[in-house]
Amino acid sequence: MKDTIIWVEVEESKKERLLLKCFKMKVPVLETKIENSKFFIKIYESDYPKLKKLWFVKVKKSNVTGWALVKQVLWSHRIFILAVLFGLILLYIISHIMVSVDVIHSNKEIRELVRLTLKEKGIKENTFRKSYKEIKQIKKEILDLYPDKLEWLEIEVHGMNYTVRIEERKLESEKETKSSCHIVATKDALVKEMVFSKGMANVKTNDSVKKGDILISGLIKKDEEVKDIVCAEGSVYGEVWYTITASVPMEYKVSTRTNKRRWNFRFKNLYVDDFIFRSRLETYEEEKKPILNLFGNELIFVIQHETKEEIKKYTEEEAKNKAVEEGIAKLKSTLDEKERIMYQKVLKNEVNNSTMNVEIFVSVLENIGEVQEFDENIE
Amino acid sequence: MHLYKTMKSFLFDKDYFIDVWDKCIHVFGFIDIDVLEEQKISLVLEHFKIEILGQDFRVLKLTKKEILIEGNLNTIKVIR
Repeated sequence: MKDTIIWVEVEESKKERLLLKCFKMKVPVLETKIENSKFFIKIYESDYPKLKKLWFVKVKKSNVTGWALVKQVLWSHRIFILAVLFGLILLYIISHIMVSVDVIHSNKEIRELVRLTLKEKGIKENTFRKSYKEIKQIKKEILDLYPDKLEWLEIEVHGMNYTVRIEERKLESEKETKSSCHIVATKDALVKEMVFSKGMANVKTNDSVKKGDILISGLIKKDEEVKDIVCAEGSVYGEVWYTITASVPMEYKVSTRTNKRRWNFRFKNLYVDDFIFRSRLETYEEEKKPILNLFGNELIFVIQHETKEEIKKYTEEEAKNKAVEEGIAKLKSTLDEKERIMYQKVLKNEVNNSTMNVEIFVSVLENIGEVQEFDENIE
Repeated sequence: MHLYKTMKSFLFDKDYFIDVWDKCIHVFGFIDIDVLEEQKISLVLEHFKIEILGQDFRVLKLTKKEILIEGNLNTIKVIR
């Protein structure tokens, strides 16, 4: 092993004599320096006893360098180092112990069933946290074990708690069979499409119907005589008319980024979610880059881009288009896949109190049929 | 070690050399030190002696055959 290196200190006035002596005694001087009227030489520790014998200089071992220094520092700080190590180990143990298992479901039976199964699989209180892979495997095993009871299961780790969410599997109960029913119109409309597999059609395409009219009858008649009573099945699409109103303000806000930006850090855990430095920008957009996630404590690097809000004004035409767009979008959100808007026209538009109000006439193709039971005896 | 010494003597076959830089003097291959002072350093080599004169001389490194001196050099004398 390489010899360790030390600094030796003498009075500055005796430096020449010491150097000459070193040369005579074949002690290599690796480096010299003068500090506070003291002369220091760097030598190998193995040469130190030779210098100690010199009577004319009072040689004082100053400090060590290299591996010896590392050893010395480690030894002198051993209590602190041990405490830190112990603390880290303790922190690791504490942060990996799970203290509770919360199973979330409204059905007590299901909750107990899952709780017991989880216990068997090792997910229970006061145990070490399972790894992601283990949790995934356990989830799969439980779902395979109760294919008719559980639809979906999720085990989340929140700090020292497991949270288990379950979706119960509901086997499709046999369709309620109704013995006698009509399909009746839910609103006034013009019939456009009609498909049925049971029953007898009372209307045809392009017939105008009123709310409550029987569209497909459950009574199978021949020559005005009831031959059979069924539950009518089918769908009837009709053209329905609406007048909808929509309004938008004439002014709107636009947020644009200036070139100014600031860096910040966000610290986030179960209890805290705040910036480390005070934010110096009034309005800004954030760009987040997570840098550390340790036991639920997240440190996120955030770039805050300053933004400037501007108030802009629509022209009347723009405001009208925007209002129509919003009104139509709102109507569309209530329609299903097969339903659609056939025709639309703006009836009226006016600006009132910095707001554009529009009235739109819309013609919609939508399902107008609804199953309605009837009493066989009355009929 | 023998191989190393043979190679070293083949590649590095000078008995001595003296390098002078702006603020440093490096001498390799000296046998003894005669004088070691702040204004004067005298080194004994195999066939001659050198005297280095100047101010504020300070030895930075010193081994069996080598010495590195820092200071303001005025004169180097070779005395045969």
